[in-house]
Amino acid sequence: MDAATDLTPLLSAVANGDRQALRAVYERQSVRLFGVANAILRDRDSAADALQDAFLRIAQRAHQFDPDRGTAEAWLAAIVRYAALDMARARGREIPTDDPALGDQPVEAEALERVSASAEGRRLHQCLATLEERNRRGIVLAFVHGLSHAQISARLELPLGTVKAWIRRGLLRLRECLA
Amino acid sequence: MNLAGMTPEDRDALAGEYVLGTLEAREAAAVAAALPGDAALAEAVAQWEARLAPLTALAPPEAPPPELWDRIVASLDPAPAPKPRRSWLARLRDPWRITAIGGTALAAGLAAFILLRPEPAPRLMTVLLTEQDQPAWLVEADGGGIRLASLNPRPAPEGRALQLWALPQGATAPTSLGLIPAQGRISVSPATIRPSPGMLIEITLEPPGGSPIGRPTGPILFIGRLAPATGS
Repeated sequence: MDAATDLTPLLSAVANGDRQALRAVYERQSVRLFGVANAILRDRDSAADALQDAFLRIAQRAHQFDPDRGTAEAWLAAIVRYAALDMARARGREIPTDDPALGDQPVEAEALERVSASAEGRRLHQCLATLEERNRRGIVLAFVHGLSHAQISARLELPLGTVKAWIRRGLLRLRECLA
Repeated sequence: MNLAGMTPEDRDALAGEYVLGTLEAREAAAVAAALPGDAALAEAVAQWEARLAPLTALAPPEAPPPELWDRIVASLDPAPAPKPRRSWLARLRDPWRITAIGGTALAAGLAAFILLRPEPAPRLMTVLLTEQDQPAWLVEADGGGIRLASLNPRPAPEGRALQLWALPQGATAPTSLGLIPAQGRISVSPATIRPSPGMLIEITLEPPGGSPIGRPTGPILFIGRLAPATGS
């Protein structure tokens, strides 16, 4: 079954208060979404709290989902990321970032294949490839692992101001490339 | 942060950083609070979400704990209060006696609180949103006090009351912080709980005089989680 065509009607049912539909969304998406939260929080208990918050928000805001503005999967993932980021900020982002694997592994072939599974993903992948290595890593560390400017600067051993400036530059270059 | 005074270029970059997640708590809260009333900013955020969404595939999928769905259902429908069980102590002694013991314990707790003078806690805040994502209430906490102010005053429906609750992380039942007066402001220093990061603050619709059972009985109208107001 195609997840994208499947989720949109489910979300409209959720908007009407259909608990079974919410459960169906959970069953189809919770493994992927728990992975998204856990990559940011790197702690299963916190990731579970974040996913719980996210599903409350999903139940409350399903009526706001607009299929013309993006896929249901992207909408769900955005809610989970904001819930996880809120939690990371509430904890002062005291999340270990010294795991040497962090941010270096995402470029593995299997992960890139997942990114490139959609046409949008392939374009984003091509555009990321045009960025300098450190810009690309900074953007991935922030988006996937929820690292703040300060944490990225500590991890890549670069001054905070520099990190802020080139992450911003990287974003603007991505926007141009994708336009 | 002055959103209105920014160039369109800076606002778009800010939207990108908001979606990327690198903004500090206060900046992120300012963007989130501005979104409902700022269509251009909301559009910029939506575009950045669409641009970066494929990156979520980099997070390795992982199965959540098996009991999580039940927790989600439980938080969607706050459970009815369990019937209070009368302890052997309560059966043995008359109610006044119990109150006196409680009062002494409370006084001892207060004395300990005053004597120990806890470290100044960081200022915490959250904005409670309406279902339409309109900012409705500002909650601020520092030390032991919690203040609530209405950002968009609207009276409770006729014959009903709005009740404020706090649920510390790990707690199973929320603690009432009292009824919200008509002017929409309340300031409380709860004796039994201390505001802490991650604490849920919620407002429920209750009968006049508040929930008769000490736990929410009506729907949750607004909910938010306290987070440190960094940079302040």
